[in-house]
Amino acid sequence: MRMRALGVAALATLAFSATACGDNGTAQPSAAPSAASSGPASAPADKGNGKLVIWADPSRVTALKPFADQFGTENGVTVEVKEISKDNQQTFLTASQQGSGPDIMIGAHDWIGNLVQNGAIDPVTLTEEQKAAFPPIAIKAVTFDGQIYGAPYAVENVALIRNTKLVPDAPATFDEVVEKGKELKKAGKVKEVLCLPVTQKGDAYHVYPLFASAGGSLFGSTASGDPDPKKVLVGSPESIKAFGKLKDLGEKGDGALKTSITNENYIVNFAAGKCAFLVSGPWAMADVKKSGLSYDVTPVPAFKDGKPATPFVGVQTFFVASKGKSKALAQEFVANYVTNKDVAKALYDADPRPPALTAALQDVQASDPDAVKFMDAGKDGLPMPAIPEMQAIWEPFGIAETAVVKGGDADKAATAGQKAIDGSLKN
Amino acid sequence: MKLALRHVFVLVVCAFALFPILFVISAALNPLGTLASTDLLPSGASLNNLTNLLTSDTYPFARWFFNSVFIALTASFASLLLSMFAAYAFSRMRFAGRRVGLLALLLIQMFPQFLAIVTIFMIFTRVTELYPAFGFDTVWGLMLLYLGGALGVNTWLMKGFLDTVPKELDEAATVDGATHAQIFWRVIMPLVTPILAVTALLAFIGTMSEFLMANVFLRDPESKTLAVGMYGMIAGDHRNANFGMFAAATLLTAVPTVSVFLWLQKYIVSGLTAGAVKG
Amino acid sequence: MTLDVREAAETREAPRPRREVTTAFVVSRIAVLAVTAAVLLYAAPPLVASRSWAALAVLAVTAAVLAFLYLTRRFIPAKYLIPGTVFLIAFQVFPVLYTVSTAFTNFGDGHRGDKASAITAIETGSVRQAPGSPEYSLTVALRDGEMVFLLVDPKTKQVSLGTGEGLTGLSGAQVGVTGKVLSAPGLTVLKAPEAAARAQEVSALAVPTRGGVIKANGLSRAVEGRAALTYDAACDCVKGEGDVWKADESQGYFVNAKGEHLAQGWQVNVGFANFARVLTNPTISGYFAGVFGWNLVFALASVAGTFALGMSVALALHHPRMRGTKAYRIALILPYAMPAFAMLLVWRDMFNRDFGLINQFFGLDVDWLGQPSTARLAVILVNLWLGFPYMFLVTTGALQAIPRELTEAASIDGATPWKAFRSVTLPLLLVALTPLLISSFAFNFNNFNAIALTTEGGPFPAESPQVGSTDLLITYTFRLAFGTGGAQFGFAAAISVFIFAIVAVISAVAFRRTRRQEEVYA
Repeated sequence: MRMRALGVAALATLAFSATACGDNGTAQPSAAPSAASSGPASAPADKGNGKLVIWADPSRVTALKPFADQFGTENGVTVEVKEISKDNQQTFLTASQQGSGPDIMIGAHDWIGNLVQNGAIDPVTLTEEQKAAFPPIAIKAVTFDGQIYGAPYAVENVALIRNTKLVPDAPATFDEVVEKGKELKKAGKVKEVLCLPVTQKGDAYHVYPLFASAGGSLFGSTASGDPDPKKVLVGSPESIKAFGKLKDLGEKGDGALKTSITNENYIVNFAAGKCAFLVSGPWAMADVKKSGLSYDVTPVPAFKDGKPATPFVGVQTFFVASKGKSKALAQEFVANYVTNKDVAKALYDADPRPPALTAALQDVQASDPDAVKFMDAGKDGLPMPAIPEMQAIWEPFGIAETAVVKGGDADKAATAGQKAIDGSLKN
Repeated sequence: MKLALRHVFVLVVCAFALFPILFVISAALNPLGTLASTDLLPSGASLNNLTNLLTSDTYPFARWFFNSVFIALTASFASLLLSMFAAYAFSRMRFAGRRVGLLALLLIQMFPQFLAIVTIFMIFTRVTELYPAFGFDTVWGLMLLYLGGALGVNTWLMKGFLDTVPKELDEAATVDGATHAQIFWRVIMPLVTPILAVTALLAFIGTMSEFLMANVFLRDPESKTLAVGMYGMIAGDHRNANFGMFAAATLLTAVPTVSVFLWLQKYIVSGLTAGAVKG
Repeated sequence: MTLDVREAAETREAPRPRREVTTAFVVSRIAVLAVTAAVLLYAAPPLVASRSWAALAVLAVTAAVLAFLYLTRRFIPAKYLIPGTVFLIAFQVFPVLYTVSTAFTNFGDGHRGDKASAITAIETGSVRQAPGSPEYSLTVALRDGEMVFLLVDPKTKQVSLGTGEGLTGLSGAQVGVTGKVLSAPGLTVLKAPEAAARAQEVSALAVPTRGGVIKANGLSRAVEGRAALTYDAACDCVKGEGDVWKADESQGYFVNAKGEHLAQGWQVNVGFANFARVLTNPTISGYFAGVFGWNLVFALASVAGTFALGMSVALALHHPRMRGTKAYRIALILPYAMPAFAMLLVWRDMFNRDFGLINQFFGLDVDWLGQPSTARLAVILVNLWLGFPYMFLVTTGALQAIPRELTEAASIDGATPWKAFRSVTLPLLLVALTPLLISSFAFNFNNFNAIALTTEGGPFPAESPQVGSTDLLITYTFRLAFGTGGAQFGFAAAISVFIFAIVAVISAVAFRRTRRQEEVYA
């Protein structure tokens, strides 16, 4: 018995001393790592030189691996691609702050505001030539406060996907979409008018094009045209009108928007032929193709006499971590390797999202016309606001959306949403 | 008749327990497996999801499975032992701070764990620099971390159980000249096999399903545990595409737990009564 | 009997005749020393190398205490408690204490690091490429072992030598087609892998120029940049872009005259501000009573429901002539063997109004998660499903501890089965299980996942988007701390302290009642 107890006790000592060090380490963060690397016990891995660490979410790791390895071979370094499954942004921030973060992080461009306020990422210098290789919206998305903070690699936005067997011609207005959907439902050809996720909590992302077309907006804009966090417009008269429009489309109205349609079932329902129209992004295409439906991808049409139905545009981006150990390598990878057409093309082959590089997109077009159609649907879209204040919008907006879809009063819902957002932003 | 009533009752509860699981099975067999399928009966039966899962390049399921079982077995065994030691002291000895210590064990578990992640990073960043073998991306570091939770609810469970074991037994042994260590190993341990088995199972399940720490600790796709790996399968926009595979994975996850249960079952239901009488 | 135990414990402490030295004793003590020495040998050198003297001292003291503890015959309880406690302190107590300490700071997004790193981030973030400056292609070289940059202007193909002192012209260099320098007189040109191996040095080298500084941008390009904002220690402020931001240590930001602040801040102590915010925040105080009431109902219903159901099936199976128990038991623990997060999502979809299995199966059209009462019922039901196997398992284990003679004796005395259960089985079960019921209550009181993965707190009334019908204290307060404006760890820690206090009081009161039970059997 003693033996086992002792083994445990021994481990315990170790754990205890480790804690003590942790405590110490924060007191003198700068001295410790460099001293440690001269110590006999520290592995060469700790020095940072000659090693590049990339963090990505699970769906991208496999796609990245071959390129990371190729980059490693070309430069005589080892590249490790690590996978984080949940809370990637917060995990990256915490790890970076404590000194065990990666050199390169992959994430959506709308993280930028928060990453910058935490001093977690560095600007990336792209040459004029490199910038010109991307569509303007991609560069606009990764630009924050006048600086470019990462290399875009894929652009994503929603579009209207329709079952061409049921609806051969693309509707010119959203009113036609609803009309046609209702008609088909009445005829028993489909079960739902429209597949657009609303959920019990609301989904601002998917409904935004309709909201915008009905005249609603989230923020006013600053002199430079960026969203102005001081001017939240969720409760403005125009937005209230837009929420009213969503109410008309909702459960007590046209039945086009329903809380029972969720992120889990909207794509599958379309693929199963239960609705003729789907509002979704490139990620839906795997399922849609698998189902064998004949389909087409067009921009989400505006309401009759409405404003353009601009979707949110999200840009997947490679960031250079400020506190990474191999910054020069990271910059080399992000600025000069990710912006290479062959790399972008190959990343697309591994995981089909419309590549941000125009040249790569054109290459892809031959084999996959959808990519260009999605890109086209998003070219006038609104890059998701990257300001940290945007985080205060999603939830109250979603709740207001659900409330009106269920038949609640638009004025009340929008005003309450505005109040909630203002309350949290003033904190 | 009475017995029949018991069967009816248990069958009803089993139906409740299995209802959602049948749904998962159906999704796993359904070639168009989806979380949104409305049907309990699959539209077609195929093992495609299972074969896709086992042959997937993206998701090294077999590795995850092995990692999980290995970590869960090792960590639950070690924490069971630590927990048992403490339970023995709390139940059989009287010392200053005993009640306070017990209460503290209970209360410390109530603090939201995910706030502690910042501190975990702080500790293990240093450990990784000093002792890479126990740092991030190592199974051993994660196990150390799990041992931090060894004293907790399980200690309470065993302590409560030990309280019900007649104390005359160890007193008799003390009179015979046995040391406290001998009493612990020769008298107490054999008597408490049922609860040891239950606690072992609980610890095993707890480690198998632990997600929060494993997510930040193991970042190589190859070194992941089932809980983390499977979360990744349905995270983000791949949710629908992978649900069939995910359902199959969910079912397979239950296999080690059920195996451990089958192995421990005989200790759970037989051990004590006979032991107590003999003692 | 109770008395005897106490006495026995005391006599152990008292001096008594020395036992003979057994082999086991000698072997175990040698093992203690060996393992302690091994740990020291493993753990000490890196600490010495990194000059972590304090940590080394802690290690030495801990090792000495442990060695002493296991070498003496005294402190018997400590021998059993220490192994687990050490881990507990390192990985539970320490993190909790540290978290609580952050409640007194503004730690959170925008305020994660110290002031120095905020300044670095502000300066680095403001570096802009000098207008009209060339985008040099870079070759890294060595001059007498010291790193230098060879910079080629892509337009003029002119080669310059950049060092820590400045930029000078260089002649005689051979330039390849891609703009890389192939060779230069008196210099060793580094190939890509060689340069990559010195990546940190490459990042560190700054070549001063008239308008700013040239730094490497990766390994093949270099850019002349200028920081638009610079920190001035004299005034403790950041200057640039025609404005001045003064450091404000009370909020951890650089603030200008108009009251606007720079994005990057640092962590400062805010005293009890976070706690005051919990008490004064209208969203928290305005909804507290209602949420607290539902929170109690949820926790109590979860504990009572899972215990009642788990115990009932355990009792039903606890019969000598019961057949098929093995199969039943496997079926009953299956909910517990499945990954909880996955099953919570499955349940959520089963409750879907139009596509959910439940409505379809029972032919209903209920918007389960869309109405307050049904949503509450649904989350309790889901929690019952998730939790009853646990109670079933522990009751099954605990039932084995009750000698059959006792229940048999009761039935011989003519007690009805119900009476026998009430007077014999249940009290004995509760001896072992009350603590678990308390801990289960505490767990469910803060059961974040059960809500976050099913209803996310909803349904929400249209006029108050902050608090939903199924929100627990922890879900709606954490939404305030994390849902808006980034993660506010300090605020969340303060909230946790309050919730912790509530749960701890309830649990401690319940725990006091167990003292009597503890001695019942003894």
